[in-house]
Amino acid sequence: MRSAATSLVLLLASSHAIACEPPSLEPARRIDGAKHVVLFRSAPTPLPLNASFALDIAVCAKDGSAVATPKVDAWMPAHRHGMNYRPSLTETRKGLFRADGLLLHMPGRWEFVFEVAGERLTATHDID
Amino acid sequence: MRWLAALLVLLAAAAPRAELLDFSADEIARIVRHGPWPPTVAADPSNRVSGKQDAIGLGRALFFDARLSPDKAFACVSCHDPDKAWSDGRATSMGRTALPRNAPSLLDVRQRRWFGWDGGHDNLWSMSLRPILDAREIGGSTAGIADLVRTDRNLSACYARAFGREPGAVEAEALAIDAAKALAAFQETLTSPRTPFDDFRDALARGDKAEAAKLPVAAQRGVRLFVGRGNCAFCHLGPAFTNGEFHSIGIPFFVAGGADGGRHSGIRTLRESRLTLLGSWNDDPVRADGIATRHVDPQHRNFGEFRVPSLRMAARSAPYMHNGSLATLADVVRHYARFDPERLHGDGEAILKPLGLDDAEIDDLVAFLESLSAEPPPTDRRACG
Repeated sequence: MRSAATSLVLLLASSHAIACEPPSLEPARRIDGAKHVVLFRSAPTPLPLNASFALDIAVCAKDGSAVATPKVDAWMPAHRHGMNYRPSLTETRKGLFRADGLLLHMPGRWEFVFEVAGERLTATHDID
Repeated sequence: MRWLAALLVLLAAAAPRAELLDFSADEIARIVRHGPWPPTVAADPSNRVSGKQDAIGLGRALFFDARLSPDKAFACVSCHDPDKAWSDGRATSMGRTALPRNAPSLLDVRQRRWFGWDGGHDNLWSMSLRPILDAREIGGSTAGIADLVRTDRNLSACYARAFGREPGAVEAEALAIDAAKALAAFQETLTSPRTPFDDFRDALARGDKAEAAKLPVAAQRGVRLFVGRGNCAFCHLGPAFTNGEFHSIGIPFFVAGGADGGRHSGIRTLRESRLTLLGSWNDDPVRADGIATRHVDPQHRNFGEFRVPSLRMAARSAPYMHNGSLATLADVVRHYARFDPERLHGDGEAILKPLGLDDAEIDDLVAFLESLSAEPPPTDRRACG
């Protein structure tokens, strides 16, 4: 948890000023892609099984360019199916987004998929 | 005295020995997730009379009242018989014509996210109104519902107490929807009883091995299969033994004259309805419970998917599946043991595989499923007021 916050501070310090507004995501999970960094956390935390939840997502581009609204999805690779719901995205602050309406309807290993300007960033999540 | 002692020894030898299988910590954790039962259930925010006794009484009276149908031939109870776990015991129901689907049990209906085999409704009050207005079923009308509530002295008084206004002052559609909300308030009280499985589960949770051992060993072997190799809890999860979502499990969906689109048509029904949680008839001004409706995502694989039913009281709600095509619990388990994967319509989903159970394992899973049923409490059929 603390490492995520530290990473976020380092990320903010090392990037251009416009790349990532301080998104107040703590705790957050971090995904480093080739072109982008995504931080995300669920609301509520821990995210519930078989109930709707949201994700707060902070995105920045490593080259400092402006960030488009990401696409967010989740699926179970072992089962080869996704969610039954399509989350809606709103930008709450510059570089900070909220995805509403996610629901993981089975226990097991899910994979969150964030698509930012054509780059696909993923993170697995196990839920019982 | 000596003969008595000898008799006791003989009886003790003949009695089945209480035995607890060597469940692992992981298995116990998986079993414990199916409780406790009954859960605490909040009032429905979309229904302003949810949980209110006067409304429950009005809903109970309407549920058993055949005057909702123009020829007094059908009532809600016609297809949801309390002596059959609030189902009707038929493969597919018979209304004014043969209907294509099995009547689902109403037990624990408050806990559902979607209603009907196809989830065409996102709340219990709109679901309650549908069969009353369906010409194939009760065949009533909003005017007929309103007229009944306005003119029957007892129902009229019950309505006034439940809703705080005289039915004569309410226009017909609003009165019919209020009646449906009273019906919903009544159905929310239909909770399945605690079962032998619940005693077993609670005993495991508190580490009481002697109490847990009271569940027959065959049922214990069945629950081990259920949470383990069977992977049944992927869909039949939690205390209610369902995720409330929709899956294709290889049951044919062809019906006379075409196909039953299942969830595919359910989402269409939902989107065409004015009576959803996103609409103005939702009594919750925040519409907080509408989030699933707002985000439900129609997909090609929905065709032929049907809602995952609860397994509680399953032993008393035969036959099974959306079309009632499986007569017994053994038939259901045999289906999962040996079904043809080519019949799945999941667009490449890889959840279901034939379990390949032998006959003894099938018997064990049936024993477990039977442990999820118990004698229900007597049905309250009092008139309101």
